[in-house]
Amino acid sequence: MIQQELRWTPFLLLFWREIRRFMKVVVQTVLAPLISSSLYLLIFGISLGKSIDLSSGMSYLAFLIPGLVMMGCLNNAFSNASSSVVGSKFAGELEDYKISPLSHSQIIWALSLGGVARGLMVATITFFVGQIFCYIQLGEMLSVKSPLLLVFFLLVGGIGFAMMGLSVALWSKTFDHLSAFGSFILLPLIYLGGVFYSIDTLPVFWQKVSMFNPILYFINGVRYSILGVSDVNVWFAALMSLVLLFVFYILSIYSFNRGSFQRW
Amino acid sequence: MADALEILNLVKKYDSLIAVNDVTFNVKPGEIFGLLGPNGAGKTSLISTIVTVEKPTSGSVKIFGTDVSVQPRVTKSMTGIVPQEIVNHGFFNIEEILTFHSGYFGIRNNKTQIHFLLHKLGLFEHRHKRVKQLSGGMKRRLLIAKALVHQPKLLILDEPTAGVDIELRQSLWEFVTELRKSGVTILLTTHYLEEAEQLCDRVGIIHQGRLRRVGPTKELIDEFTQRNINLVLSKTTGSLTNKYLTHQDQNKVSFQIPSTMKVGELLAQTQLNVSDIVDLQINEGSLEDAFRRVLGGVE
Ligand SMILES: Nc1ncnc2c1ncn2[C@@H]1O[C@H](COP(=O)(O)OP(=O)(O)OP(=O)(O)O)[C@@H](O)[C@H]1O
Ligand SMILES: [Mg+2]
Repeated sequence: MIQQELRWTPFLLLFWREIRRFMKVVVQTVLAPLISSSLYLLIFGISLGKSIDLSSGMSYLAFLIPGLVMMGCLNNAFSNASSSVVGSKFAGELEDYKISPLSHSQIIWALSLGGVARGLMVATITFFVGQIFCYIQLGEMLSVKSPLLLVFFLLVGGIGFAMMGLSVALWSKTFDHLSAFGSFILLPLIYLGGVFYSIDTLPVFWQKVSMFNPILYFINGVRYSILGVSDVNVWFAALMSLVLLFVFYILSIYSFNRGSFQRW
Repeated sequence: MADALEILNLVKKYDSLIAVNDVTFNVKPGEIFGLLGPNGAGKTSLISTIVTVEKPTSGSVKIFGTDVSVQPRVTKSMTGIVPQEIVNHGFFNIEEILTFHSGYFGIRNNKTQIHFLLHKLGLFEHRHKRVKQLSGGMKRRLLIAKALVHQPKLLILDEPTAGVDIELRQSLWEFVTELRKSGVTILLTTHYLEEAEQLCDRVGIIHQGRLRRVGPTKELIDEFTQRNINLVLSKTTGSLTNKYLTHQDQNKVSFQIPSTMKVGELLAQTQLNVSDIVDLQINEGSLEDAFRRVLGGVE
């Protein structure tokens, strides 16, 4: 028997805390994606993009934008959630969660929705920067083919990655563990997940290997939602995204039950 | 009515180290209970299992009759804890910290209680500061405020006065006494035994993970200490013979009697005349003496 007020308030307050936390560094939250997406678009989209011909005849700049949008979303959802946990471990705040009647699933949902909120913010900024580049370079902006699907993929992918971030952070014993995961696992997966190229251009063997990269489905889902083109069937991508979300959720539940709340 | 806290055969191991070794005791509703012991005795480990920061290796903990491992959200709602270690909150100021903390306990609009605590703990002027900007003593008071936002029935204080100056310690203990009057049950640890003696209805002495003694503070002191009685007589008497006599130097005599024995009884035994006594000094045993005796007895 859980009192009524323990059903929503702890979750809402923790979620609100997460939003406030990244809003305190809002300049960083806004400026970083502004700069990085501009750089990507400038270097890959415009400079190198001139010499890339896509079989569909689409401009490489347009092809690149959805990938960057999703990459920004996934990266930020992951890092916001993981740095929240790691920061709380460092401060001893994680024990505060443990001594209060917050349930594990409340913590998980609050922190991952906080993460995805930041991810969506970055995705939006990246998309607008992309639109400006498009307008300058191609004379017209992109129109989003399916806004609903776009929101679906951003949300599902972002929440999933935030949950993965929570799990990694809970198992990490030092800051180095966390950054090692980022550079040895996350970064390669993102770069090989079809942000910058279509897997059609790969040899068949590597195409097969790429199918095991979860990020492929997220990226292509978003690409389809915006441009209407994708390396994989969009409904299959949607299904895989949901499966992955489920896996990440189970992983985070497991991590909260077994991982360490102790301060560093 | 169920005990405020009931600890039964509690064991907590860290790998091979046994930090808490088969501890059983209870804390009654409305009582101030002192858990005393030297550094590394296992006090914090024991407290960690009460608030579910650590899982017990075996044994059980109940808070007002509810098992902490069966319905943790119920027991946590009733419990406030002031941890031994300072908690930092990088981004947020004191008022925000307390607002969020109230929220975790299911309380949304808690401004009245928060401001009451801030005033009570002398933090009101500092409410817009971040933890980093506070002094050590203020940080500790913030921990106390956090523990009380949800008006717990059981308050656990793990060395709340470490690093707090004398005056503040005094007012802190007054606050604790006030809380008890309002019906809050208190479990505390401290290394200031004199303060524990004044404050605690009962104490438990823990050493190397084992609970050596538990009982009413006064009884423990009586059991483990003696009263020293020094007399100055108006004239030198002949050698006194009494089994409690410890020292005699002309007109100065000293006795050591059990804490339970009355001074009158001693005087009757020695057949000294009250009119011959110029000065009489009684040194009662202290909790500190009892504490030393209890620990000494096991080493
Ligand atoms: N997380 C941990 N991992 C391993 N050993 C631990 C851990 N926490 C405490 N210990 C050990 O358990 C024993 C009891 O420690 P504990 O912190 O409970 O003592 P304490 O009575 O609170 O001491 P103090 O008065 O110094 O606070 C010590 O030997 C300590 O080294
Ligand atoms: Mg301790």
